[in-house]
Amino acid sequence: MRPAAALRTRIAPRLGGSPTTTTERGLAVGVLVLAALGPFVFSDYWVSFVLTQTFLIGIAAASMIFLSAYGGMISLAQVALYGIAGFALGNMITQAEAKGLNLGWNPWLSIVLAILITTAIGLVFGGVASRSFGIYFLMITLTYAVIVNYFFGQVTALSGFSGISGIARYAPDLVGGGTDRTRLYYTALIVAVLVYVLIRFLLRTPFGVALQGIRDDPVRMASLGYNVALHRTLAFAFGAFVASLAGILYVFWNGQIDPATVGLAGTIDLLIVAVIGGLARVEGAWLGAFAFIVINNYVRDVTVPLVGGSFKTIIGLVFLVIVLVSPQGLMGAWDRLMRFPGFRRRADAATETAPGPTAGP
Amino acid sequence: MRHTIRGSKLAIAVALLAAMLIMLAAACGGDDDDEAAPTAPAETDAEPGEEPSETGPIKVAIMTDCEGAFAFGYELDIGGAQAAFYEYAGAEPVDPATPSAGMNGGTVAGRDIEIVGYGCGDDTAATAVRETRRLMEQLDADIMLGPLSGDEAVAVAEYARDNPDKTFIIGTAGSQDPTLQIAPENVFRYHGDGAQWNAGLGEIVYKRLGWRRAAIIMDDYSFGWTSAAGIIADFCAIGGDITHRVFPPLNTTDYATYVQQLPSPDQVDGYFWVVGGTGTGSALQAFEQTHGPLDPTQHAGNLFFAFLGNFEAVAPRLVGSYVGGFGTAPGLQTEQAQAYEEIMGRWHPDLPAADGFVYNYYNAAWALIQGLEAAGGDLSRLEESLPTELRSGYQVSNGGNVTLDENRQAIQDQYPLQIVEGDDGNPTVEVIGMVPGVDQAFGGLFTSDSPPPGRDQPPCEQRELPWQGQIQLVEDGQVTEEVLE
Repeated sequence: MRPAAALRTRIAPRLGGSPTTTTERGLAVGVLVLAALGPFVFSDYWVSFVLTQTFLIGIAAASMIFLSAYGGMISLAQVALYGIAGFALGNMITQAEAKGLNLGWNPWLSIVLAILITTAIGLVFGGVASRSFGIYFLMITLTYAVIVNYFFGQVTALSGFSGISGIARYAPDLVGGGTDRTRLYYTALIVAVLVYVLIRFLLRTPFGVALQGIRDDPVRMASLGYNVALHRTLAFAFGAFVASLAGILYVFWNGQIDPATVGLAGTIDLLIVAVIGGLARVEGAWLGAFAFIVINNYVRDVTVPLVGGSFKTIIGLVFLVIVLVSPQGLMGAWDRLMRFPGFRRRADAATETAPGPTAGP
Repeated sequence: MRHTIRGSKLAIAVALLAAMLIMLAAACGGDDDDEAAPTAPAETDAEPGEEPSETGPIKVAIMTDCEGAFAFGYELDIGGAQAAFYEYAGAEPVDPATPSAGMNGGTVAGRDIEIVGYGCGDDTAATAVRETRRLMEQLDADIMLGPLSGDEAVAVAEYARDNPDKTFIIGTAGSQDPTLQIAPENVFRYHGDGAQWNAGLGEIVYKRLGWRRAAIIMDDYSFGWTSAAGIIADFCAIGGDITHRVFPPLNTTDYATYVQQLPSPDQVDGYFWVVGGTGTGSALQAFEQTHGPLDPTQHAGNLFFAFLGNFEAVAPRLVGSYVGGFGTAPGLQTEQAQAYEEIMGRWHPDLPAADGFVYNYYNAAWALIQGLEAAGGDLSRLEESLPTELRSGYQVSNGGNVTLDENRQAIQDQYPLQIVEGDDGNPTVEVIGMVPGVDQAFGGLFTSDSPPPGRDQPPCEQRELPWQGQIQLVEDGQVTEEVLE
């Protein structure tokens, strides 16, 4: 049996954490139908603020979860990468605004270039970090986040600490943004679905399978002849590509971007989103984003008794509870529920003899 | 097989339960108007997205900061704004010691005033946009009073441009862009911008202290740049030269590396400080550690030098330093000023009436009330009804009225200050001059086509300013006819 095929057999039960039960499939369909009907069911505010933001933040979180769950790489650079896309797009697409280069280029060209620039930078970042593992990899990506934050803060020709504004009005009509929030909602929804499908597809390709093997045992994979550093670099570049889509949607949704968006606070927020949703399954990205945004939005006027503070205290408590009770996040809790009799996955049968894969470094 | 059948039924039940919960969430998502409001909520008969009723409450949001460098402004801003509603709209505070506890009642032109929420910004544009959308879309406010900070106002002005059906009256934000480079028709500002506030400061240090060459250190964001622009324009116009410009980011905590970039005291005549919020004290202490004890004749600051409590360890060594204004005049002995201070003392005696955060939000709310009355409570006519002249507590020229220019930006008297030793031996500030009728254009230097203030804008150029040579001296709170020579 060829190495890749053997590998696929060993780790097949963990592939993609795919929804294999009737319940999960039914729920997925239900959620998609509800999302498709969103503007007809929910208020304008929920459509334009809560749900659209859920989709785009979820895309960014999906890039983080893809790297962590299937590549064994916890990256704190995803917000920085989506910021690069946002800043690049803002500088290229605007004209005669107060800040930025105001190049006034064609919106579609600008979008493509922003994606390419971000992916290329992701390739470079990934290349530098690919030979590091664990905490060292995490610290390198944190360095990227700080560099990007200060770069856009200090280079006033591109942004400055006040950022670039007025971007949404240059969005292509097909994409929406500015005053056409319903169209942007559907754009974000479609992109989120496509990202999810793309990640699931990628994980089943030889590249994806190898990546998961590298996650579990890079030494063994190297001894089998796989170029571990190259795989990790390419995975990081893919994560950058996904993050760039989130960044583009973000600036069309928010209309502006500034270095504070991609600062340490934003980086930690995305990590919180991913942890709440569940770092082990890509579906957790959108679940975590939804939970985070709803809490952020609806507890801003609440003061926590005795402790004081509001949103940040509450989200911190939620984060703590999840880490202690369900380290795999909300999706982990769901997976445990699904293991109850009657919900057991069909694929679970294959795991009864094959050893479970170990967590990556 | 039995397990599979039971499992399927259970699966279907769970799926149905999940669907019900989702529908319930959807129903809750459509009821954002039920969000708890700081005022006792009046009956609302307008759903989000519908045209506002002419008889329902007028929904007002107050946008301020509760985090970041200007978190101290939270209660000041809210108290200032609500004091106008107490005085002129019949509202009452829930807790006079805590303005954010809300207010009860309030009626203008026969319509109830409802404060739907307080925005919790952190002086960043991203949070400001998020809070603005929460206030204006989720809570469906008709009017916003705010925001507080420069970058926030730029973002809010952009939002306002895309949402022309809402009205925005800026609270205390001093960035230039919102009413010059952006200037949407639904954004109003009844106070000067950061540059206007510093009118006269450059001329004072040039004439009284003999400064010819100075360095400037400014917070690296829109208000810092605007505030510095006023100092630079004023100082250079009369013949001064700015030799160094240094830009620490806002919220910097360690200013050592930035102070190192400043020239030594023997290389320049003085330093202008445009470092604010919680950074003033840290920056000044870093300077002392690098260049030795502060010489008050070598240091002048923007409005943040008047917030002596933020740097009380250093303040005694700055007695004698000159300070840029905030549109306010603490201690001004005019009937109008005293009437304003009596109003604030009546409703919020714990708030400093002469504080710019209080005063500017008060004026914003006072203008709104007048506009609503003139419009008969008809929000569709509010913007055309907002006053173009506002009788403001600390305004002396133009009959005591602040005037709005064609961009809905205030033309306002400005009051340079000086740190002096108070009767109790502690440093305090007093007004030493009055610069009449300062406009945003600075005599043509700033236009809608000119680049907004930035690190290198404006350049240091000699020119004539409308108020050059016309700064009236103020002594013991009285504006004299004597002009600064």
